[in-house]
Amino acid sequence: MSGKHIGKALKRVEDPRLTSGEGTFIDDLSPVGNIHYAAVVRSPYAHAKINAVHTEKAENMKGVKGVITGVDIAELTRPFPVGVSEPVEYYPLAVEKVRFVGEPVAVIVAENRYVAEDAAEEVVVDYEPLPAVVDIEEALTHEAPVLHENIGTNIANQRFFDYGDTERAFEEADTVIRHKFKFPKYSATPVETYGVIADYQESDGKYTVWSNFHGPFTLQSVMAAALKVSSNQLRLIVPKDVGGSYGIKSGIFPYIVLMSIAARKTGVPVKWIEDRQEHLLASSSGTDRVTWIEAAVKNDGTVTGLRMKMVDNVGGYIRAPEPACLYRTHSNSTGAYRIPNLQMETIAVMTNKCPTGLIRGYGGQQLYFPLERIMQMIAHKLELDPAEVIQKNLIKTDEFPYKTPSGGIYDSGNYEKALETALTTAGYEDFRIKQREALARGKYIGIGLACIVEPSGSNMGYVTIALTPEERAKSLPKSGCAEGATVSIDPMGGIKVRISTVPTGQGHETVSSQIVAEVLGVEPEAVSVIAEMDTATSPWSVASGSYSSRFGPIGSNAVYQAAHKVRTKLLKVAEHQLGVPLQHLDIKNGKVIVKGQEERQLSLKRLIGTAHWNPQALPDGMEPGIHESAFYTVSTAAAPSEDDTVNGSVTHGFVADAVTVEVDIETGDVKILDYITVHDAGRLLNPLIVDGQIMGGLAHGLGGALYEELTYDAKGQMTSGSFMDYLCPTSTEMPPVTIKHQETLSPVTPLGAKGLGEGNTMSAPVVIANAVSDALRPLGISIDSLPISPSKLWKSILESELKDVEYKEEIRR
Amino acid sequence: MNGSGKIELPGGKEEVFKSLLEPELLQECMMGCKKLVLIEENKYNADLSVGIAAVKGKYEAVITVEDVVYPDHYKIIVEGEGKPGFVNAEGLIDLTSLDNGNTMLEYTYTAEVGGKVASIGQRMLSGVAKLIINDFFKKTKKELQKRPKSA
Repeated sequence: MSGKHIGKALKRVEDPRLTSGEGTFIDDLSPVGNIHYAAVVRSPYAHAKINAVHTEKAENMKGVKGVITGVDIAELTRPFPVGVSEPVEYYPLAVEKVRFVGEPVAVIVAENRYVAEDAAEEVVVDYEPLPAVVDIEEALTHEAPVLHENIGTNIANQRFFDYGDTERAFEEADTVIRHKFKFPKYSATPVETYGVIADYQESDGKYTVWSNFHGPFTLQSVMAAALKVSSNQLRLIVPKDVGGSYGIKSGIFPYIVLMSIAARKTGVPVKWIEDRQEHLLASSSGTDRVTWIEAAVKNDGTVTGLRMKMVDNVGGYIRAPEPACLYRTHSNSTGAYRIPNLQMETIAVMTNKCPTGLIRGYGGQQLYFPLERIMQMIAHKLELDPAEVIQKNLIKTDEFPYKTPSGGIYDSGNYEKALETALTTAGYEDFRIKQREALARGKYIGIGLACIVEPSGSNMGYVTIALTPEERAKSLPKSGCAEGATVSIDPMGGIKVRISTVPTGQGHETVSSQIVAEVLGVEPEAVSVIAEMDTATSPWSVASGSYSSRFGPIGSNAVYQAAHKVRTKLLKVAEHQLGVPLQHLDIKNGKVIVKGQEERQLSLKRLIGTAHWNPQALPDGMEPGIHESAFYTVSTAAAPSEDDTVNGSVTHGFVADAVTVEVDIETGDVKILDYITVHDAGRLLNPLIVDGQIMGGLAHGLGGALYEELTYDAKGQMTSGSFMDYLCPTSTEMPPVTIKHQETLSPVTPLGAKGLGEGNTMSAPVVIANAVSDALRPLGISIDSLPISPSKLWKSILESELKDVEYKEEIRR
Repeated sequence: MNGSGKIELPGGKEEVFKSLLEPELLQECMMGCKKLVLIEENKYNADLSVGIAAVKGKYEAVITVEDVVYPDHYKIIVEGEGKPGFVNAEGLIDLTSLDNGNTMLEYTYTAEVGGKVASIGQRMLSGVAKLIINDFFKKTKKELQKRPKSA
């Protein structure tokens, strides 16, 4: 439904407090007395045995409360559970061995951060360095140093999948096109870093932790298990304002456990705020991935089969929710195309880099880089236009809901129309003419296309595709995407909404107020939304939190359902008092009215008052008060089948990008002339927030395309530990962006909404690579690794100068 | 990271060789060296204070001299550790007599760093290394020039 409030570009209710300095972030909190402060001692080695940790000097410094080392961790915790069958032992602090630079080896707790940092300098660690490995392909070899001796290999997870008749598709193909692509390790860099305040109550063995963790709350069970307590003995509280995350703050969970142990050992509440260098060095990041891709192609450009071997580098330890990056896009591996045959080999490998986790786009950018590049390469090989090859293979509008070979259910879409809009807006045909003219003048301009499916609202079950069907059968099946919300009305009519979606800047308070206002026939300003998360009191479930663009398809619907429960209750009270059947009643402007006889009405205030002040006047059997919680899931989020198919996400949006660039072949600089992006995310709940999300996602994708990479040298030393070495796009790097929308409603969600905000993070790296490859096609340059830095590109340009001459001759003929 | 270079130093080979291993000269000429003591033959402990890019810090270093072929050649190994990480370097020194009675010193070095120095100082590193080494030999030359000529 859409109406008076849903779908309107309401200004964000969060912004007045944020822009006036009244936001409440983790570092603003002092929830308990006697808070002490932590500093972390970190490993300078990528791979080393720890012979001894000497803490005496630090411990004896004035103001130091205690030092936590691997000995304490091994005694007080157990390794974090992880969803692979290999028994990888991951603790929040190194036990006996370090496996990446920046890995915590000791924590100092002191009366203030200054003392803690000074004491950290006095900790002496006796390391015995071991050979390190950082490269994916090297780590897979038998000669490579092994990180985890108990496993004997660096492979943490490996699976094979075969859908359809891929062998036949390749046998019958006119052409097979194959290539290897490398996707870089990059990060998300929110303005606010990790922050934790941990308190331990010895009398009942309970931990209470305030942090800017935003889920998934599956990780609450992972943390409780590591702390060896039942889940209700670990209370997690998240302040209402989190200074951005883009996924990375889900990776704070080891620090929640680490600081909990620090608080327990020292007997004081412990606060730790991560600094920027720690964040870049040792928080989390996306995976770097090598993909070998092969496409079986007919001469007309039809792709009949795909083979992919993809290897994700999960760093020193595989940790939850990895290897999910490999599988998040499993059910949309064939992208926006009708490709019935698919073979995949998926591998998660451990190397001496920082462990990985959620990052906006999670798996999408790694998948679409090879997939959308190969589509362009197919076109070039067959001497067809890339737009034509895409059009030929796009899933047609009348094929929805479309089932992919790996089990994805694309709920709705109109891909052809979206691509058409992108091509028209970009002036595709004219650009080709301009391009030829420019080349004649020695200018290299190009246009790139990408059509991607944007999965949103993750099915909890997809992660278990990492296990074989036999392994899965040994435990309870996992499915769904459960989320909760509570709508309550107090005795004086104040409407409150409690959400568990833990927004990190996406405006969930605003949209929740719009939805509740719509359902209850009031104004959004009358609805107060409480976004603080508290696992002791919030209506939450396993999938709660903010990730996989799940507020649009799921969180919003939990709110919607809870509001409907309240609406129904109010209507039932009115039915009782007016003596008119419920179906003839409606709510408008704060009143229940009889449809067609609007003079017969009761104010909501009176109905609410009845529920609280005069329960006797309620219908028989009705409970007093107004306090309704609803939990929402989607039935298409089913557990994986025995044939290894799974619908990994409940809704599937679509993005068609057309991007034009100019490459300066003297310097290797890439200038984006125009970025056209067409989105279909079903019903837009708030178009203002939607466009903000799209711009943010695009900036992150732009970083992946041109700037961002967490670089390591061959010995595992990280060499991009500050913003001088790790480049992030800022507002001045943002190109001109044209956003267009179409709204093909989702049939699986009551509001018809799908998730968005990750789409361009997934599409921008490849569409820019396609545009640059198009511009430099005369030089024979084809991008197969990212980011496209000027130095890298300039080197390729130098190497290909000869080819240029020949090609120009050919073009002129 | 690696590099090489050469410098003409006043005095004969033997004299230069001996001077280069004197703790006093080493401490005097090594940039940021707060303390340097000989702990056993051909082994020194040193406190170094070096800033590389934004990473300033103190390192406790062990300096070892190996492969000594008096007065022609030796190898010097520096292993430093401190809050900003670690620095390990190895230098090969060769001395040859010049016709003018002076000595030509040729050196090659390799160095690796770890921890914070690597993560935020990498860009500056080779420049800084060159700077420190050049500075060392320049100061050494001056120091040797000050000394009364023997023979």
